[in-house]
Amino acid sequence: MSIKRSFGFQTRRNFLYGLGASVGSIAFTNLLADEPSDIATQPGPLAPKQGHFPARAKRCIFLMMEGGPSHIDTFDPKPKLKDLHLKEFVREGKTKSAMESGKRYFVQSPFGFLKAGRSGADMAETWTHLRNVADDICFYRGCQVDSVNHPTALYQMNTGNRFGGDPAIGSWMTYGLGTLNQDLPCFVVLPEISYPQGGAANWSNGFLPSNFQGTPLRPQGSPILDLRPPEGISTDHQRENLDLLAKLNQRHHAQHPSHDELVARMQNYELAFRMQMTVPEVLDIGNESAATKSKYGIGAQPTDAFGRRCLLARKLVEKGVRFVQAYAGTWDSHDYIERAHGNLVRQVDQPIAALINDLKERGLLDETLVIWCGEFGRSPDNGVRGGTAYGRDHNPKAMTLWFAGGGVKAGHTIGATDETGAEAVEAVHHVRDVHVTLLRLMGLDDNKLTYFHGGRFKQLSQFGGKVIQDLIA
Amino acid sequence: MTLRSLLKTLSLVLCIWGIATVDAASTEPAAGEKLFALHVSRLLVDKCNACHGADTLKIKGGLTLTSHEALLAGGDTSSRVLVPGSAASSLLYVAVTRSNPDLEMPPKSNDRLTEQETWHIRDWINAGAPWPDAERIQVIRERYGDGVEVPTSGGLSDDWTHRRYQPENLWAYQPLNVAPVPISGVQNPIDFFIERKLHLAGLAPAPLADRRTLIRRATYDLLGLPPTPEEIEAFVNDPSGDETAFSALIDRLLASPHYGEQWGRHWLDVVRYADSSGFANDYERGNAWRYRDYVIRSFNEDKPYDQFVTEQIAGDELFEDAPEGSRNTELLVAAGFLRMGPWELTGMEVARIARQRFLDDVTDTVGQVFLGHPLQCARCHDHKFDPIPTRDYYGMQAVFATTQPVERSAAFLDSENTLGFDERRYLGARRKEFQENLKRLADKEEAAARRWAEERGLDYIARDEGLKNGVPEDKLAPKKIGFDVPDYGLERISRKGIEHLRWELDRYEPVAFSVYDGATPNIKSVNSPLRLPSDRLKGDLGEISILAGGDPFSPTTPVRPGALSVVNSFAPDLAERKIPDTLEGRRTALANWIVDPKNPLTTRVFVNRVWQWHFGNGIAANPNNLGATGKKPTHPELLDWLAADFVQNGHSIKSLHRVIMTSKAYRRSSHHPDRRELEEKDPLGTQYAVFGPRRISAEELRDSMLAVSGELNRAVGGIPNRPEINHEAAFQPRMVMGTFAAAWQPNPTPAQRNRRSIYALKIRGLRDPFMEVFNQPSPENSCEARETSTVTPQVFSLFNAQATYDRAVAFALKLTQLAESDSDTIRNAFWQAYGRDPSVDETQICLAHWSTMNHRHENLQMPKPEIPTVLVREGVEENTGEKFTFTETLRFYEDFVPDKKLPDVDIKVRGLAEVCLIIFNSNEFSYVY
Repeated sequence: MSIKRSFGFQTRRNFLYGLGASVGSIAFTNLLADEPSDIATQPGPLAPKQGHFPARAKRCIFLMMEGGPSHIDTFDPKPKLKDLHLKEFVREGKTKSAMESGKRYFVQSPFGFLKAGRSGADMAETWTHLRNVADDICFYRGCQVDSVNHPTALYQMNTGNRFGGDPAIGSWMTYGLGTLNQDLPCFVVLPEISYPQGGAANWSNGFLPSNFQGTPLRPQGSPILDLRPPEGISTDHQRENLDLLAKLNQRHHAQHPSHDELVARMQNYELAFRMQMTVPEVLDIGNESAATKSKYGIGAQPTDAFGRRCLLARKLVEKGVRFVQAYAGTWDSHDYIERAHGNLVRQVDQPIAALINDLKERGLLDETLVIWCGEFGRSPDNGVRGGTAYGRDHNPKAMTLWFAGGGVKAGHTIGATDETGAEAVEAVHHVRDVHVTLLRLMGLDDNKLTYFHGGRFKQLSQFGGKVIQDLIA
Repeated sequence: MTLRSLLKTLSLVLCIWGIATVDAASTEPAAGEKLFALHVSRLLVDKCNACHGADTLKIKGGLTLTSHEALLAGGDTSSRVLVPGSAASSLLYVAVTRSNPDLEMPPKSNDRLTEQETWHIRDWINAGAPWPDAERIQVIRERYGDGVEVPTSGGLSDDWTHRRYQPENLWAYQPLNVAPVPISGVQNPIDFFIERKLHLAGLAPAPLADRRTLIRRATYDLLGLPPTPEEIEAFVNDPSGDETAFSALIDRLLASPHYGEQWGRHWLDVVRYADSSGFANDYERGNAWRYRDYVIRSFNEDKPYDQFVTEQIAGDELFEDAPEGSRNTELLVAAGFLRMGPWELTGMEVARIARQRFLDDVTDTVGQVFLGHPLQCARCHDHKFDPIPTRDYYGMQAVFATTQPVERSAAFLDSENTLGFDERRYLGARRKEFQENLKRLADKEEAAARRWAEERGLDYIARDEGLKNGVPEDKLAPKKIGFDVPDYGLERISRKGIEHLRWELDRYEPVAFSVYDGATPNIKSVNSPLRLPSDRLKGDLGEISILAGGDPFSPTTPVRPGALSVVNSFAPDLAERKIPDTLEGRRTALANWIVDPKNPLTTRVFVNRVWQWHFGNGIAANPNNLGATGKKPTHPELLDWLAADFVQNGHSIKSLHRVIMTSKAYRRSSHHPDRRELEEKDPLGTQYAVFGPRRISAEELRDSMLAVSGELNRAVGGIPNRPEINHEAAFQPRMVMGTFAAAWQPNPTPAQRNRRSIYALKIRGLRDPFMEVFNQPSPENSCEARETSTVTPQVFSLFNAQATYDRAVAFALKLTQLAESDSDTIRNAFWQAYGRDPSVDETQICLAHWSTMNHRHENLQMPKPEIPTVLVREGVEENTGEKFTFTETLRFYEDFVPDKKLPDVDIKVRGLAEVCLIIFNSNEFSYVY
C-alpha cells in the first residue's frame, strides 16, 4: 500500500473513481472549468481493458456453496460405501489429529443417483431441475485444497491464500478487465443474510486498490450500507445540501488549485448521489415477468432466497457487472446429511437450473462463466454418532466443482476420486490450477496478472499454476 | 567497516586468490566461458531450474537445464534446445526473447529476462556454448564477476551461497554512513541534506507555511485532532520569533497525553492490533487492550525505542529475570506484541500446523516490524533477492521455539485506566440466559430420551454416561432427541455463546495477553483463555529444523537459534551476541541483537517509519522492506544521519520528532509558487520542495467531528469502547464457527461511545464500515503505509450516515449556545472546523442555506429511530439445513441513552445542523496542508 500524496500532477493520472465514474456524465462539470480538459477524459481504473488472450467468457457468476457440500451426496456417487457402511474407518497421515473424536465409520449416501442428460452425468436424485441442464455442465472431481477449516479454506477458494488478506478472484478479474458499467460496482457479492465465516475478507480487494473491492448487496435492509440518508430526507433536500457542499468545495479548491484529489472527491459525491438512484433500480426485480420469477422459484419456498440471488446475478451481469458471487449455505452437514443436504439442494436446485436456462435463452451463457463449488468436499466417514444421524466431516482432498458457460467442456465429467470418495485420483490439481484456468477462460494470464506487494509480484495462484486444459472446450 | 572498505577487502582477497588460481588453471577464459560463468549459469539457476532443475518430480516438458549434456539432449518436444554456434536455431534463445507466443520462457511475465540478459544467452550460444566446470566457473567469477559475494550462514545450495549482489541492494546492511554536516548552528541538518539535492536539481523550494497552516499541520500530525480556536489564536499571536514559537508548540503537543494515542495508532497499524483472534471462532482477546495502552503510554513517556523493542520481544523474560517484588507487570503486557497476528486452534485443525502458523507469523513479523525485512520468502527456499538464507529464517524461528501463548495473571498498574468494569454485568446477564437455554433443552432431551427408552422397554440411561460405560449405541436414545428445528440452533448458539463469553469476561481481570517460555503443550483445541501450566516443561520442547517447502512434517537439518547472518557479516561485533538454546533467554538475546546500536537495520527502519508518518513518504518508500525489492532511499545520507542522531539521543522518539518538525522541509508551504517548474524538476515528488497535503485518516475524521461538536470524551486508555456503528452492520448476522456471533452493541452512554477511535473495540470479523471505507487497514497484515483512496461508499458513510447527522446536531447545539447573531454562529462554525474566519461570501451562502433548511424542516416529519432491545436472527441450521430463527436480547441497549437527533431539536438547530453536516463533508475538513 502506498499513501498517495496530493501532488497534483501525480494524482491527475491516478485518482480513483470509487465504484466507477463515467466522468462525462457528472452534473457539476462546471466545477472543473478551471481544470485542463484531460482530467475529464482520463479513463478510470475500472475502464474496460483487453485481457492477455481472446476471452472465452466476458463475465462470471460464482455460486459459492459455503460450508463445503458433499461431493459424495451430490455429484460423485460412491456405491462402494454401501458395502462399507458403518464399518470402521481409520484416518492416517498428518491430518490424523484433526477431527479425531472416537471411532469413525464409513457412511453411505442416503441419496440415490441418476444419470442425467445425454452426457449421462451423475447426479443425486435430489437434483430434479438441474438434471435438465446436465449437458451444459462440466463436472470436475480432481480439485484439492490445503485447509480442513472453514474460513481458511473459504479464503483459499476465494483468494488463493488460506490466511486471508489477499484479493478475491473477482478483484483480480476486474483489476485485469475493468468493468462494462461504470455506474455499478464492478464486483458484486450477494451474500446470505448472515455473512460466511471469515466475513468480508472473502471479497476483499486485499493489496489491490480499493476500487476492486467486492460490494456486498445485502438481501435485507439497505443493499449498500447508508445508501440512503436518514428517513425523511428527500432527494431535493439532499441536492440542496450537495449544492452548498459544491460551493464550499469550489472556494476551497480555488485556494488549492494544484490539488487534484479535491476534484476527485467532489466528483465522488455526485457519483454517489446518482448511485443512490441507480442501485435500487437494478435491484428491483418488479419488472421481471411472473413467469421468470416463478422459474427461479421466487415467491415459493424453499427457493425464494437463492432464487432472488440467482435472478439478480443474471440482471447484474446483463447490466455489465463483471463478476457476481452468490452465496448459499451452510453446507457444513456434520450430522443428518439426509435432512441437511436434502434441504439445501432443494433451496438451490431450481434457481440454478433457471439461471442457466435464462442465460441460455438470452444468449448470455456462451460468454458467461458459471462456477459452482464449496470450499472443500466432505469425508466418506463420520465419527459423531455412528449409527443414527449420519453426516460427513471436512475433506480437502476431494470435492466436486462444476462449470458452465463460456469456454468450458460442457457435458463432460473430468477427474475422479477413489472408490470411497476420500481422495481425488484422476486429473488431480491443486485449487491454484483451477484459479489459473478460470482466469484463462476470462482471457487472463495468471502469470501476467500480477501486482507488486510485500517485496514481490503477487498473483491469484500465489506462485503460479497451470491451466487445466481438460476443462476447456 | 563501510561497504566500500568491505568490498575492497573482499575483492582484494579474492583477487589475489583468484589470480593465483587462474594462473594455476593457466589459461585465459574465452569470451563464451566468461559469459557462461558470469551470466548464463546464473540465469539458468534463477529463471529456469524451478521447472527444469534437478528435482525430477517437478521437471516440466522432460527438459532439464542443469548440465551441458542435458541441454544438448533437449526435451520432450525438441532436441534443438541448444544448438551451439547458432542462437537463432536454439529454442532456449527463442524462448527467452518471447518472440514466439507459443514458446515464452520463463512463463511468468514478471520473470522475463531483460534484453541484456537475452543478449548474454545469444552471445554465449553463438560463441559455441562452452560449459566450464564448477571450479573454473568459480575462478572466472572471482576474477571477472561484478557484484559482491556476501557471507551468510549459507544457503541450501552452493550456488546461492556464492551468488553475488549488486552493492546498491545491500545498502541497508552497511554501517551508518554519517556524512559531516556543516556546523552552522542555524541550519537544521535535515535541511542541509534536502537543500543540497534541491540545489542540484535547480529547484527552489516553496516558502515556509504561515502559522495558521503550521499549527493545524502539527496538531493533526502529533495529536490527530484539530487545534482549538484558542490554540490557533495563541500561536498566531505569539510574539516570539517563528522558530521559537513553533518549537514551543511542538513541545506543548508532545506533552499532550493525546500524542501517544496518535502515534500509538501508527504503531498498531504496523503490529496489526485487534481485539479478536480472527479465523473461524474470532474469539475476543479480552486483554489485548492493555497492550494498546502500553503502546500509548510508551510513546507518551518517550520510552527509548531500544527499550520499547526489547519489552515487546522479551518482556516476559525481563519480568521473570527481575527479582520478585520489583517485577513490572507491564512487561508481560508488552510481550503481547508476539501474539498480535490472527491465530486460533480448533479441533478441526492439526495442532502442529497451527503451531507452525504461529512460528511463521512471529518470525516474519519480527523481520518486517523491526528489521524492515519480510522473511516469509525464506520459509520455503533461500531468499530470491536478499542475502537471507532459509537457514537464517529457521534460526530466527528457533528463537521462538519455546515461546508459548498465555493469558496470564498480571496485576493492574496505577497508570492503567480500569474504569467501566461494571459493564460486565451485561455480559453476566447474557451468560445466564444461555445457561438457562441449555438447561431447558437438556431437560427436553432427557424427557424425550426417557420416552424413547420407555417405548422400547429399555431402562433410561443418559447418553454420555451410557457411552462411557460401554452401553451399545442402539440401547441409547439418539443425541438431541426431541429437538425441534430451532432447538438445534439455540443449543449451539447458547453453548458457543458461553464459550465466547469466557474470553470477553476475561477483559476485566488482571490478566495479560502474553507469552511464557516452555514446551509446546499437547492441546487439540483452544476454546478458552490459556493459563500458565503447572509444568512448563510438559510437552514438545520443539527442536527447530529447516522445513522442506515450509512443511512442518518435513524437517531436515536442525538449526540453532540465531539472527540474520548477513547483518553479522557487515557488523562482526554483532556476531558476538550469541543466542542461547536454553529454554529461557532466547528472545532477550535476539532483542539485544536487534537493538544493538551496531545493528543498522533497526534504527534505519524506525527513523524511516517516523519520517514517513510525518511526511507521507518514507525516505525509503517501503518501510517494511529495506531489502533489494524495496524502494531505495531518496536521501540515504539523511536517513543515516537521522538514525545516528536518534541513537545519540538515547533512542528518544520525541527528540526525533523535534528535529524533523523544526526543519524547513517540514515547515514548507504545500503551494509551490512555480507549479510548472515543480512538475518538471521533481516529477516524482521526492524533493521536499513543498509539503504534501494529506487527507486525514478514518480515525482522525471521526475524532475531529467529535472534537468539533464538543462530544469527544478525551479519557485516555482503558477497556475498549463500542461506538455506534452503522446499525445494519452492527446487527449484520455473521457466522463464527458453527453459530452466529453476538451483535455489535454500543455502550449505553454518549460519553462511553464518544471516545477516541483508537479505543474502539476492533473485531477482525466485524470491522466498523466507516473505518474500513476510509482506508483503516485490515489487521491481517502489517501495514507499513495507509492507502488513501477515494471510493463511493465513503460518501454514503459520511454524507448519509446517521452518525454524521448526530455529530452535526451536536455541533449545531454547541454553536447556538455560543453565539448571539447568526453570522457569528457561522463564524464560530468555521473557526471550530477550519480554524479560520469565513469570507463574506461564505458567510452569506451558509446563512442562506441555513434559512432554506429551516423552511424545509418546518414541514419535515422525521421519525425518531427506535431503540432495539431484541434482535431476531434468521439462519440455516447446519444440522438440518432448515431455516430457523432465534431472538438475541440486546442487554447493552437496556440502558441506552441515544445521541440527540434532528427530531429532538428546534427547527433552527435542525437547519444549522444541515450546514454543519456539509462542513463535515467538505474537502477543507478532510485535508491538512
